[in-house]
Amino acid sequence: MSTLWTVMRKELLDLFRDRRTLVLALLMGPLLFPLLILGMGSLAESRARTQLESTLELPVIGADHAPNLVAFLDTHNIRAIDPPEDPAAAIREQAYEVILQIPADYPAQWRGSRPAVVEVLYDSSRQDSRIPVSRVENALRIYSRQVATLRLLSRGVDPSLGEAVMPGRRDLSTPEARRGMVLAFLPYLLILSAFLGGAYLVIDITAGERERQSLEPLLATPSSREAIMSGKIAAACAFGMLSLLLILFSFKLSFQFAGSGPFRGVDVSFAAMGRLLAILAPMVLIGTTLLTLIAASVKSVKEAQSYMSVLMLLPIIPTVILLVSPVKSELWMFAVPFLAQNQAILMVLRAETIAPLQWLVYAGAGCGLGLVLWLIAARLYHREKLAISA
Amino acid sequence: MIEVQDLHKAFKARTGLVRAVDGVSFTARDGLITGLLGPNGAGKTTTLRMLYTLMRPDRGRVGIDGRDAVKEAAAVRRSLGVLPDARGVYKRLSARENITYFGRLHGLDDRTIRERTARLVTALGMEDFIDRQAEGFSQGQRTKTAIARALVHDPKNVILDEPTNGLDVMTTRGLRDFLLALKAQGRCVILSSHIMQEVALLCDHIVIIARGKVMAQGSADELRLLSGEQNLEDAFVRLIGSEEGLSA
Repeated sequence: MSTLWTVMRKELLDLFRDRRTLVLALLMGPLLFPLLILGMGSLAESRARTQLESTLELPVIGADHAPNLVAFLDTHNIRAIDPPEDPAAAIREQAYEVILQIPADYPAQWRGSRPAVVEVLYDSSRQDSRIPVSRVENALRIYSRQVATLRLLSRGVDPSLGEAVMPGRRDLSTPEARRGMVLAFLPYLLILSAFLGGAYLVIDITAGERERQSLEPLLATPSSREAIMSGKIAAACAFGMLSLLLILFSFKLSFQFAGSGPFRGVDVSFAAMGRLLAILAPMVLIGTTLLTLIAASVKSVKEAQSYMSVLMLLPIIPTVILLVSPVKSELWMFAVPFLAQNQAILMVLRAETIAPLQWLVYAGAGCGLGLVLWLIAARLYHREKLAISA
Repeated sequence: MIEVQDLHKAFKARTGLVRAVDGVSFTARDGLITGLLGPNGAGKTTTLRMLYTLMRPDRGRVGIDGRDAVKEAAAVRRSLGVLPDARGVYKRLSARENITYFGRLHGLDDRTIRERTARLVTALGMEDFIDRQAEGFSQGQRTKTAIARALVHDPKNVILDEPTNGLDVMTTRGLRDFLLALKAQGRCVILSSHIMQEVALLCDHIVIIARGKVMAQGSADELRLLSGEQNLEDAFVRLIGSEEGLSA
């Protein structure tokens, strides 16, 4: 135990003497992440607002065939302009987001009270076109219903006969949960920071120390290798938690001061931050032991670092899966690393309560995995090759 | 006392099995300095690593004060002071912090560490740089720090891998006096070197190693007699059977 404490203190002292690395490692995240999140959020919101509220310039092909329709669109803040030569090419080249085509037989169909076809040209693979297209379609639907109602009334028919079922919607999500949707990527940032936040330190104190050839005298002392390794892991965990604390604090401050935008009302109370820290603690342990294991098995720092790009992808997997096929939150998920953190963090941000059983499964699975990785790393620390650097 | 019996160690390399140590036996007695002399790559460092329990011998036995280096590794390490080939001084710690760190790993209390450090600082002449961070230390300052670090727990047996490597004349002389003082205190000192004069001046018992084997051993006079050469350098060349890796 005293060895663990001695090693931990020395590693932290060593790290804190390296000022520049320390500042970069500790302050980059807390400064950049809020900027990233708030910046992206407000950018998306202001773009949506301009798209929703500004006058939409809509190229209309065959506008002469339906002057009434064009006039109606104008009252919905959609102004018809002259169409381009080649509408399909114009959409593909992204010159316009949406083009309306009114066929030549429109007046004939209209007069015969038959459904008159109009075509909305757009590119569904473009995120940008989503809002303009729905604005145009919405306006067309309103126009269609108005005219249909008038036609029915003029024939002495009750317009409500045309609607057998009228679906009504009641959204039961809490306001916090709706905001939580915007925060889908926040768990990834947090999990990544917890998982790899101390990576630099972990790799340095095992693979780096080996490369600097200072591991040989260290392992020639009577201290047990498990104790030395645990001291290093403890130092890296302490550093990881400190860096997380700073990141969470910066989130708290920036969400509180981001007066408007989609982040208003996200739960950033000290209690919620505390819960997030508790959720991320097993992740710090898992990341540190995993990296220690890797650092003890490779030949050089460079080799250890080449694992980083793969490790960075690991926390994305559950985020992507949840994004593509959202699943109901179930108990077993709290035992799967990364998925569990993802679920738990979202629950905290949505101001939902995590049940004691869920906490138990979560902590058990997280710490259990950490322990297994610790045992494997300890085995690797006993390899003869580890101490011999040259 | 350190007893080495028929030590073997081989490594797998791309070109096949390399027999780094191939049957080394010798005894290093207390109150004497034993020198392992041999060209580069003769197997000196590998032999020493097996002495300080960092490597397991494939065959053979190492006994330190009667304890087996494989079976009682932790106890053996407690009675050893080791200066490895790679000094491994922590750059961002001061010389004193380096020494204190190892003292604590040996389970010493802070007062003992302070006293021992003070004694070693005087003995090794470290007053000028003891509280400076090791970043930018000269080779001599690094070696002195590593030696002080290795001896802070006052070990009975001292193993030094190429202690004078890269040191200037004055530092080497100072270090020589320090090693003679260790001997006078009745410790068992083993050092390795590829420099003949060094070994001839310091060592009571010389073990000549080449290609993993002991070619000859004895005092400097005995070795001269054995080879029939008056000059120790000629004796060395004759005994290892070639002029490879010989440097002064």
